[in-house]
Amino acid sequence: MEKKVGVYICKGCGIGDSLDIEALAAVANDEFSPAVCKDHDFLCSKAGVQVIQQDLNGDDAVNAVVVAACSPRVMQDVFDFGPSVVLDRVNLREQVVWCQPAGEEDTQMMAEDYLRLGLTKVGIMEPLEPFQPEEEMSKRLLVVGGGLAGITASAEAAKAGYEVVLVEKEAQLGGWMNKLYKQAPMKHPYTDLEDVDIADRVKAVEEDSNVTVYTGATMEKIEGAPCLYTAHIKQNGNVVTERVGAIVVATGAVPYEAKKLKHLGYGSCENVVTNETIEELASKGTITRPSDGQPVKSAAFVLCAGSRDPEHLSYCSSTCCIESLKQAKYLRLQDKDAKAYIIYKDMRTPGHYELFYKSMQEDEGLFLTKGVVSSVTEDENKNVVLEVDDTLLGEKIQLKVDMLVMATGMVTNAAIGEEVELVLEDEEEGAAELEDVPADTIIKSDMLNLEYRQGPEAPPLHNGFPDSHFICFPYESRRTGIYYAGSVRAPLDGPSTIDDAGGAALKAIQCVELTSQGMAVHPRAGDMSYPDFFMDRCTQCKRCTVECPFGAINEDAKGNPLPNPTRCRRCGVCMGACPERIISFKNYSVKMIGNMIKSINVPDEWDEKPRFIILACENDAYPALDMVGITRQQISPWARVIPMRCLGGLNLIWIADSLSKGIDGILLLGCRHGDDYQCHFMKGSELAEIRLSKVAETLDRLALESDRVQLVQLQITDYPDLPRIINEFSEKLDEVGANPYKGF
Amino acid sequence: MADESAVQVESKAATLIEPDLNFVRELKEAGGDTLKKCFQCATCSVVCALSPDQKPYPRKEMVYSQWGLKDKLVNNVDVWLCHYCNDCSTHCPRGARPGDTLRAVRALSFRHFAFPSFMGKIVGEKKYLPIMLAIPVLILLLGIKIAGGHIPEGAVEYRDLFPLLLVDAIFVTVTFLAIGSIGFGLWNFLQGIHANAVAEGYAEDKPLAMGDYVKSLISVIPTILLHDKFKLCTTNRDRYWAHILVLVGFVGLFIVTNLGFVGIYGGPLLGINTDFLAPPYSIANPIKLFALLVGIGLLGGILLVIANRLKPKDAESTISYLDWSLIVAVLVTVSTGLLTWIGRVGNLGTVAYGIYFLHLGSVFYIIAYLPYSKLAHMFYRTVAMGYAAYIDRPFGVEGVAAAPVAAPEVEPTPAAEEPAAEAEPVEEKAEAPAEVEAEAPAEPEEEKPAEEEEKKE
Repeated sequence: MEKKVGVYICKGCGIGDSLDIEALAAVANDEFSPAVCKDHDFLCSKAGVQVIQQDLNGDDAVNAVVVAACSPRVMQDVFDFGPSVVLDRVNLREQVVWCQPAGEEDTQMMAEDYLRLGLTKVGIMEPLEPFQPEEEMSKRLLVVGGGLAGITASAEAAKAGYEVVLVEKEAQLGGWMNKLYKQAPMKHPYTDLEDVDIADRVKAVEEDSNVTVYTGATMEKIEGAPCLYTAHIKQNGNVVTERVGAIVVATGAVPYEAKKLKHLGYGSCENVVTNETIEELASKGTITRPSDGQPVKSAAFVLCAGSRDPEHLSYCSSTCCIESLKQAKYLRLQDKDAKAYIIYKDMRTPGHYELFYKSMQEDEGLFLTKGVVSSVTEDENKNVVLEVDDTLLGEKIQLKVDMLVMATGMVTNAAIGEEVELVLEDEEEGAAELEDVPADTIIKSDMLNLEYRQGPEAPPLHNGFPDSHFICFPYESRRTGIYYAGSVRAPLDGPSTIDDAGGAALKAIQCVELTSQGMAVHPRAGDMSYPDFFMDRCTQCKRCTVECPFGAINEDAKGNPLPNPTRCRRCGVCMGACPERIISFKNYSVKMIGNMIKSINVPDEWDEKPRFIILACENDAYPALDMVGITRQQISPWARVIPMRCLGGLNLIWIADSLSKGIDGILLLGCRHGDDYQCHFMKGSELAEIRLSKVAETLDRLALESDRVQLVQLQITDYPDLPRIINEFSEKLDEVGANPYKGF
Repeated sequence: MADESAVQVESKAATLIEPDLNFVRELKEAGGDTLKKCFQCATCSVVCALSPDQKPYPRKEMVYSQWGLKDKLVNNVDVWLCHYCNDCSTHCPRGARPGDTLRAVRALSFRHFAFPSFMGKIVGEKKYLPIMLAIPVLILLLGIKIAGGHIPEGAVEYRDLFPLLLVDAIFVTVTFLAIGSIGFGLWNFLQGIHANAVAEGYAEDKPLAMGDYVKSLISVIPTILLHDKFKLCTTNRDRYWAHILVLVGFVGLFIVTNLGFVGIYGGPLLGINTDFLAPPYSIANPIKLFALLVGIGLLGGILLVIANRLKPKDAESTISYLDWSLIVAVLVTVSTGLLTWIGRVGNLGTVAYGIYFLHLGSVFYIIAYLPYSKLAHMFYRTVAMGYAAYIDRPFGVEGVAAAPVAAPEVEPTPAAEEPAAEAEPVEEKAEAPAEVEAEAPAEPEEEKPAEEEEKKE
């Protein structure tokens, strides 16, 4: 496409007061010869935008626009000229005039460099065309698992007008809820036991014409990508295929294995049972002792049986407190003189359940204490004798009860199965680096059986739960278009499961809607770019397929990558991984960033004006840099910020480009990684760090100090600290001295 | 009641705990209906101006109450160090009202140590009220029958209805029965609190040294008379004046009665002339003036008690059956006492004899039921405070006194959390007068005979 570039410089918000706008325009005109270069006192006003709009019309119209004004994070609706116009926003306000002294030579030089970066960028960017595959895109949803979560997700999606395919492995829908005698209260006043309402929910879904139900069915395999999935459903020995667009996984959890809880007397004392047994007994009529069938007159409910215990499950299983209170109520309703003891670590009854807890607390036959059960034995009458330490009664106590009930925790079904590791068959180029990238553990839980290069299920985050960072990415997993809901994702109680299922259904709907328009899902929702692979130069090194955090790329038998654009989240990690640099987006590429770096004006060593580049993650670091300006803090005038979609897109060639250009250093600002990662693309900043570890050796070989390259992890709220980080890096570069390649 | 609760120390250090469900029910019945709401945050122990630093109450008593651990409660010295300030109830985030719970524990303690035990039941439970009222009425009617059985004519002279000797015979007998009964109860109580204090680790494990104990007992009497601990209350500070007036009234009337007694019987017994002490007194007699003064003081005190209790203050005192049955009895006694005098002076005939009958009945009621009624608290509390001094368990000490959180009004009202549950105490408050929760001198048993004799002249 023949580009006709228009440059528009805003003078408002202090830009005109701080900078020499004419000199700035001269840089654009002299170095880039754009079709037009204009300035305006108030570019985001109606009149200002009109100036741009006029140039976009007509025969000799501008088709690439550089708006040199405020941060690209603001005024996005005002400066929106449609997908056919290439646009870049040069951030003169937040990142130049608001964080640099007005009228200084260095401030002016910074603004000029940013204009060069923007003009270089639009020179390479191409207008976007949404991805449209040949096959028809499906907007139907597949819901795997027909318990409370699956039923709710199906019902919610159906209500929103989407067709749903619901697959349940048992002969009937309802899941865990079918086993309960009563359910903990879900409605006002939250103090009474309620009849289990799962049957009504099941009926509603079964009668819904938008929902196709397969019971007694499992997933044989799932091929494809969002909007292009083919689900192979095995039922009664036959395999049916369904085309679906997105998947909600609601396969639930199972109780922790009671036989592992020997310390609570399970297996050695006859009258030690699990909470599951109580539901069975209560459903049959009377809670009786397994040893003699006599009605239970006293029972000790031991909470956190296996949960919050480093020897067993490290997490809280969330429902045991409320379920045990509920079961204590079964006993108290059965016999008004019965005694129910509850031994807890902490009583956790969030939300409206607090009201049930309070009402139960008032029951004179309920005896609550914090405590640690230190021994469980049985006497000659098979009574359970337990000793409890650290009680509220101020001493170690002994209780003699008819029955001990263990509130066993929950284990996600996603954690049950063999672990599979990604195997790299041969030693190819880049393989050495691959070994350093921590491989995801995939558990073959036989829930989805995805035909993905990166394993048949989604990777777990903690404790086997296939979750994502829930605050930033609610209901997300690390597989695009696959959303986990209910206790398969996290230990959840009934009301939370219902909320979760609704959330996941909406996420799945967003996914099919955006994907069918050729757009990315969260966190780059609406992005129409997607990676293009220049296969002629591919060396089958597999780095892209292995490093993609979302498992978007499959492989053929020879190791060639088979991209699935609808699985892609457009982070650019593959672009950074590829040693041949064959992966590019139309508006984001190795070449583009490389050329931008090269466009920076690097003064001669004798000018004593060092230059360093900040490669800043767009998600946290770049807004933090804006915050520095908004709060009028100052940073080193030698810095030049280049935003990146994710630090995981870092290609090492840029480091070489920068240093050979005479730039003194490179500071990378990325998100936190590790257990409590905040990277929007899961492991981008971690991958960048791994790649950088290779750079140190290269720099040493070139007789350049490895101090010149540094990666800092931060989050947006760290902005008050950012000037210090940047200025210290600047000072360190002063100590290291000027780049010896300057001026070559 | 079945003594189901048992706390046995096992060889292994773990104590076998067997909650007594009935005891929990009884506590709820006796005014501790909110006790199960406690979730053991210990705000109560922190805000209490009186609670000791070591093993402070009432947090631990709350969990004992919830678990129905009767032995740990009726033998508990700490529940008697509580003066029902209700700072704890005001600040309790759950509306568990620890102050009310401790009061209920105290009420059940009278009942537990009652001798004979059926008396504890009769006095403690509302349903036996008709029996309680019938006993004095029947005995007095029998007395009138013996004395002639008719209402005297002419100038009002109470001896014509009831000969002095007969009145004294009835009341001296009742008084000594009461002394014997409460003495027995107090002895068991003292042994019980000692054993429990040893078990809970406040006291050394050795037998009670009675000599030292009596010294400690004497040492706390000034504290009791001056209401030193009571003054530290924040929420219920208004009760200070009411309570001290009632106490002083009782003590004053006790003195007057003893003077009258000496006046009548002292002469023959001692061989000296004690007629100047003998009633009836003229209006100008200093004894009479003193008697009127303390009588009016007592009346004023009990009216203040009632007024304080009727004030609509959400989180303050509630009233239990045991409270109001005593308050009403005191009000009737003191008002009929004064009216008896007016009846004689004003020569009101049959009306005067009726009042006199009521007066004798209410005095009988107070004395005969004293060991099991709310009034017994002055003996139990005195014994307990003496014991606390004996084991050197400090409470309400200076440093702690400054601690209570100021401005309890700003605290969240428990009512906001549990409207339904809170409604009950409010109802109770409306139906009945207030409560006196006082410490009192060690042996004022004869107070009431004193008062009545003074009236009878």
